[in-house]
Amino acid sequence: MTALLTVEHLTKTYTTKGGLFGRGATARVVSDVSFSLARGDTFAIVGESGSGKSTIGRMLMRLIEPDAGVIRFDGIDITTLAAAQMRRLRRRIQIIFQDPFGSLDPRVRIGEAIAEPIRLHRLRPPDAIRERVSELLALVGLDAGHAGRYPHEFSGGQRQRVAIARALAVEPELIVCDEPVSALDLSVQAQVVNLLADLRDRLGVSYVFISHDMAVVRHLASHVGVLYAGRLVETGPAETVFADPRHPYTRMLLAATPSPAPHAARARAAIVGEPPSPFATADQCRFASRCGHSIDLCLTAQPPLVEIAPPPRKTACLLSAELQPFLALSDGEAMMSDAYRRRLGLLRQARAAEGRP
Amino acid sequence: MPIVAAGPGHASSSAAGRASAAAKVLDVERLRIGFGAGPAVVDGIDLVLREGRLLCLVGESGSGKSLTALSLMRLLPTGARLEADRLRFGETDLRALDDDAMNAIRGDRIAMVFQEPMTALNPVMTVGAQIEETFRLHKRLDRKEARRQALEMFRRVQIPAPELRLDAYPHQLSGGMRQRVVIAMALVCRPALLIADEPTTALDVTIQSQILTLIGQLRDEFGSAVLFITHNLAVVAEIADEVAVMYAGRIVETGSRDALFGDPMHPYTLALFAAMPREEDRGRRLAAIDGQVPSIAAMPAGCRFAPRCSFSVARCHETYPPLREIAPGHAVACWRAPLEEHVR
Repeated sequence: MTALLTVEHLTKTYTTKGGLFGRGATARVVSDVSFSLARGDTFAIVGESGSGKSTIGRMLMRLIEPDAGVIRFDGIDITTLAAAQMRRLRRRIQIIFQDPFGSLDPRVRIGEAIAEPIRLHRLRPPDAIRERVSELLALVGLDAGHAGRYPHEFSGGQRQRVAIARALAVEPELIVCDEPVSALDLSVQAQVVNLLADLRDRLGVSYVFISHDMAVVRHLASHVGVLYAGRLVETGPAETVFADPRHPYTRMLLAATPSPAPHAARARAAIVGEPPSPFATADQCRFASRCGHSIDLCLTAQPPLVEIAPPPRKTACLLSAELQPFLALSDGEAMMSDAYRRRLGLLRQARAAEGRP
Repeated sequence: MPIVAAGPGHASSSAAGRASAAAKVLDVERLRIGFGAGPAVVDGIDLVLREGRLLCLVGESGSGKSLTALSLMRLLPTGARLEADRLRFGETDLRALDDDAMNAIRGDRIAMVFQEPMTALNPVMTVGAQIEETFRLHKRLDRKEARRQALEMFRRVQIPAPELRLDAYPHQLSGGMRQRVVIAMALVCRPALLIADEPTTALDVTIQSQILTLIGQLRDEFGSAVLFITHNLAVVAEIADEVAVMYAGRIVETGSRDALFGDPMHPYTLALFAAMPREEDRGRRLAAIDGQVPSIAAMPAGCRFAPRCSFSVARCHETYPPLREIAPGHAVACWRAPLEEHVR
């Protein structure tokens, strides 16, 4: 199957203005990032603040121009498209953000906000737009009656639904989701996660899902890329990456993630150090200073992202084959007590009787 | 990075034994908070915090958990109405204090850490000057000694290159570093009570893990009582000694961490657990809780969770179930608990 999205050697640097004598410093924000996404799949980019994950998301929309690299969407190299062509292509790629309030005009009723892109791209005749808006609202679990309301009249979870409805208005094939559930309460987060999964199943949308929440990524992603200081350090099918992480940084992230099973035996980590400055110039593994496994060779050059068994897994660690087995984040129901499982069973039963999951 | 296999987190297994023995730091009975003539937003909650113990107050937006925290510091917004049958901090009745006396306690005996550390820091003062000020004000140290102690405190909270960081302004530090500065300031006076309102919600997991460790150390070394407010159950599992679950202004279940996780009683507690994405949930729909927290204007007459509850019966909609002890130290406000005795 051909990939919907292929990213090759994507790079973004920023150069500070030089002072009186200096030539300015260069910050490497995204370095040599490559991955691909098949239609209907979800590629998650996980990493900490400042790792460059949002920059990648914005480059995919060309809201930020890359310095180097190729982004191919459905076979088209979008990095070289003229502005007018890019505008047309944006109908096929949409983005939603963590703070849906920031992307909605407070003075525009949400029905109008959703209708605008439909009109702009002439996706429906004018007299059918109203009906389409109602359809989209229903699709994301809102009432047609909500169309007349303003953004401030909605809760955080509802606003994220509005933002999703608006993104869906142009019938995109790819949606870049930049931390879409991070600001939401647990119960609302579950609603939005379910909605994203439903849309993928029903409409065949693909996602690039940017998040720092490992549990949500594990739930939604088919493939995952772990980003550290602007570089992908590990990629592969989500299930195997979470079960058997082969890069020490992936392990650090998983070990730092709290588990809702208080007595689960699992890897824990003493988190030392902090990510390197993007201005750091040394050609070495960027994680070496925080890594308990580093050897001299790690300090002589940045290890490339190379294939490891089983394909298509990749890691940028010289020692990945020698790492000890990892006691992964374990929060399965088997970790919980009998009473917990019994009552959760009752809850599921009661919900099934009501026709809910 | 040393990674070792380990069992439970910070909370000790002899927790239950210590729970009743340790001295009460905070004793709150029937706390009510409302606005104007409106109904109570926080409606009669009891809280007991003990020396060297950490209580997690769990709830979602609109549950009243942050208002509860602010009320303990007497920092409620103007127009708010506070009533309680008891509001004791140690031997002191917090309701009886005038503003000066409250100011003396705040920041000294009771410290607070918020979700956004920027709100607690002065943007035009170096962080060093701010923490030194705390030492001079509350501990009456001279400049030199205050500087020395500030540096020591920065080391304690693991701020890298502490000498350099003392002269930094808040905007020059990352979010995690700022939160550490705020915690360092909270530590200065070895407070008897630390109130932490979603202190790690905005942080990366690695930073969160460090901050949780720090707060655990504060509890263990200084014997501070900690009220930790969060909506993240995994964080609760990691750090809590005791847990109180709040819904729409009331506590619906309370008990030790092991009681709550091992023997969850209230349907809302269960629903929260069920909504978490666990490893076997991949490819399954998550059990979201339908509907929304009721608005203050339209509080149900009976159990406030009843309209969203899969187990509710007529009685639930009519009469609010009182919080009743179902096992020693474990209380639940539900007519239908334990579920297996009531649900067919």
